[in-house]
Amino acid sequence: MKSELTNFHFIRAGMQKRRRRWLFVTAVLTISACLLCCLMLMLGNTIYPVNEVVRSLFGEQIQGVTFAVNTIRFPRMLAGVFAGFAFGVGGYIFQTMLRNPLANPNVLGITSGSSVAAVFCITVLHTSNAVVSVASVGAGLATVLVMYVLSKGKTFSIGRLILIGIGIQAMLDAFISYLLLLSAQQDISAALLWLSGSLNGVQLSELPPLMLTVLGLTPIAALYGKQLNMLELGEQTASSLGVATNKTRLVLIVWAVFLVAVATATTGPIAFISFLAGPIANRLVDIGASNIIPAGLVGANIVLIADLIGQFAFEYRFPVGVITGLIGAPYLIYLLIKMNRKGEL
Amino acid sequence: MEKSHLFRAERLAAGYEEKTILHDINVDIPSNKISVIIGSNGCGKSTLLKTLAKLIKPSQGEITLDGKAISKIPPKKLAQLLGVLPQSPIVPEGITVADLIGRGRFPHQSLFSGWSKKDYEAVAEAMEMMKVTEFADLDIDELSGGQRQRVWIAMALAQQTDILFLDEPTTFLDITYQVEILDLLTDLNKKHGTTIVMVLHDINLSARYADYVFAMKQGQLLAEGAPEEVITDALISDIFGMECVVIDDPVSHTPLVVPVGRYHSTVNLF
Amino acid sequence: MTKSMNNFVVSGKKSDFHLPKNFKITLIVLVLLLIASIAASLFFGAKAVSMQDLIDGLFYSDRDSHGANIVRKRVSRTIFALLCGTALGVAGALMQAVTRNPLADPSILGVNTGASLFVVFGIAYLNITSANQYIWFALAGAALTAIFVFGIGSLGRGGATPIKLVLAGAATTAALSSLVTAIMIPSTYAMDQFRFWQIGSVGSGTWDNIMTFIPFLLVGLGIALLTAPALNALALGDEVASSLGVHPSSLRFGAAFGGVLLCGAATALAGPIGFIGLLATHVMRLILGPDLRFVIPMSALAGAIILTISDCIGRLLGSPGELEVGIVTAFIGAPILILLAKKSKVRSL
Repeated sequence: MKSELTNFHFIRAGMQKRRRRWLFVTAVLTISACLLCCLMLMLGNTIYPVNEVVRSLFGEQIQGVTFAVNTIRFPRMLAGVFAGFAFGVGGYIFQTMLRNPLANPNVLGITSGSSVAAVFCITVLHTSNAVVSVASVGAGLATVLVMYVLSKGKTFSIGRLILIGIGIQAMLDAFISYLLLLSAQQDISAALLWLSGSLNGVQLSELPPLMLTVLGLTPIAALYGKQLNMLELGEQTASSLGVATNKTRLVLIVWAVFLVAVATATTGPIAFISFLAGPIANRLVDIGASNIIPAGLVGANIVLIADLIGQFAFEYRFPVGVITGLIGAPYLIYLLIKMNRKGEL
Repeated sequence: MEKSHLFRAERLAAGYEEKTILHDINVDIPSNKISVIIGSNGCGKSTLLKTLAKLIKPSQGEITLDGKAISKIPPKKLAQLLGVLPQSPIVPEGITVADLIGRGRFPHQSLFSGWSKKDYEAVAEAMEMMKVTEFADLDIDELSGGQRQRVWIAMALAQQTDILFLDEPTTFLDITYQVEILDLLTDLNKKHGTTIVMVLHDINLSARYADYVFAMKQGQLLAEGAPEEVITDALISDIFGMECVVIDDPVSHTPLVVPVGRYHSTVNLF
Repeated sequence: MTKSMNNFVVSGKKSDFHLPKNFKITLIVLVLLLIASIAASLFFGAKAVSMQDLIDGLFYSDRDSHGANIVRKRVSRTIFALLCGTALGVAGALMQAVTRNPLADPSILGVNTGASLFVVFGIAYLNITSANQYIWFALAGAALTAIFVFGIGSLGRGGATPIKLVLAGAATTAALSSLVTAIMIPSTYAMDQFRFWQIGSVGSGTWDNIMTFIPFLLVGLGIALLTAPALNALALGDEVASSLGVHPSSLRFGAAFGGVLLCGAATALAGPIGFIGLLATHVMRLILGPDLRFVIPMSALAGAIILTISDCIGRLLGSPGELEVGIVTAFIGAPILILLAKKSKVRSL
């Protein structure tokens, strides 16, 4: 009865156009991630054609191919996709919730917290991968809790939160160095490789915790994506629009910490993914819709691209974390300059 | 079409941390009317509004909507009945006007439902009402202060609630926009019978647009009633701690407050 | 009138020299702590030594026992730790005064990483090998990084606020450490040399290194002491400072130069050591008040003590190897950063 409103079609068209764009971007990101996955499987010391790769993945024994693809390249690819996705989603959640692109799990000390736990498990306790994951999650959550207690003041300030995060990071990093010093030589090199964030030598048996976490918890995006967007409007508006803000925030933080911590436990802290993915996703789509999934896909894409660059662009093979660091750090500086100019800090 | 609601607060006390700001307040919000809370800076008018809107938890007393405690109503359900526009809402960077207003539909959407025709209609109507249709696809950053305020109100309108709370919706705006926004809110009240409660700084505009006035001083409700009954020389002088004279507004024939000050005297007036 | 004010703030003549309330007692405590830390540094370590070894090593150069030789090595190490601590303490005080920012510390501003990058670049591509060469690369890296970070941090409204500077420093550190890793990974040679340099910590305190370091330390300390009174005036703001006869920009340049010289040289020889400046200066300011004429020398003393004790702790914890002193100082110093962040008002961030 009201659809004779003159502006109805105009407004609906605009909103639907943006929703189509979301679908389009998500589809493109998915396709490009798949293509990159294929490249990850085909490229290496020897380049194998698609049909051989596929046949070998389906269990056919092909001289040379089966080992390289099934044992080395396939786990590497899976680790890249899932860790990238996890870092991307985790970063996006924190950035959106705190309304600040600088607020990512790295700055908040979560990555360092998980790293301490993982290094401790690797070098001192020599535990299984599952235990490493559990410990990482525990340490990540503990770090969040400590951050929360320390940064709680009369008024919340993102600046204070970041400063405290940097302090906590410095301490945790010092602790990691201490653990490395205590540990045996062969453990050190494993731990160092892990700390620089690398997909090298990831084995299929290490992946289930990460894959289960990502696949099992992604439905939360459907449940809480809209709520996250509402939180962006500020505490008061969100709660007046019927969002149970405390509960939402708790669920989202725990989810994000799970993702980041388990990914960190598997591949090590791959620099800057959690920082880059969200803003890129927001630029590709616009922020009207929930960009949790696009952010995760962007994260997966970046990790795969960076790993391909690290493996093949130079004479020497760089771990993926170094490449993402080289890409991400200048962007961080650019962002700071932009924020400073606009007086947002 | 018009729905009446009984919104009532009894023996309400509230504040921040240890400081109690509101003391023992009893309020009945007149249904389908425009009510305005007036008072000097720091008297607790915003706190009262926020407490009524469930944004602050009262330390004492009870707020009921149609006989049901609002603390017991599920948040989404409450948001279908009661919309709130906070004083300084936060703008997410890079969002378009239509999408922002669309977020007002949140309480009406279920988990997996997409956008229904009704949702689009609500947004379209809210935008038409607040005259922001032309900005639909613009970035909210590109708008002026007055336009932005209209967008925020439109978001609250898209929520399609029977009751609407607004915390100083006209602050920082030129007088032109202040009047424009108050006119638009009056339209809303006349057209849909929306119960509106707002905090306003300008006492003369309050007198002009309010059907009902709550006057507060130091966390307590001093007087309430129609503007003509409440806004008197004595009461206004008491609230603001300054001698004032109330005359007849030549345009709207509502009370008009004229402050006296130290350099002028009321003698010449009479 | 103005002239006498001038004298008061800028020249600090003897007649105006009011000692802060706790000055004497602080001085006594610090000197005692200094003696204690020196003793601890000589006595404790991966290998236990006896009292006899200590006396032999220190006073009888002809007596040759294993213990005595260890003590002799520890002597140079201790002196080096004291000098580095002094340099870092003063550098922190200078940087904080110049930037009018309580969080300015070489490690937080990324200056350490800048020095690291230049050194590793020199090792990998220019075949530099000795401390004499490292020091110039480290200084250049430290100076450029300081300028860069301060440049980014002071953009926009409000100038270089603490949070902006810290973020600029953190971002720059992240960028530069990626570069360091990228340069190191392909070259095992560079990696080994760099590791050696980086892990060397104050263990690299040979007499040669001490000799290389001393000229830089003296120049830096000289600058710090000369600029202290004028920096006091700068604390009141640029306008007030110029009305008191101080030229803010040249003062800033001079003092920053001194700060970079000190921390760059210390980093070049001892590797990146963080938080000493922050820790020493803040404790001293807390006790003595803001007057830099006292804070600077006492920070020097405090820095020396903190670094020497940290080195001791590192040797004890890391036994039979050693824990880099930078790790110990980070562990002690980071809580101070957290505390400062907690205490500071939101506005001033």
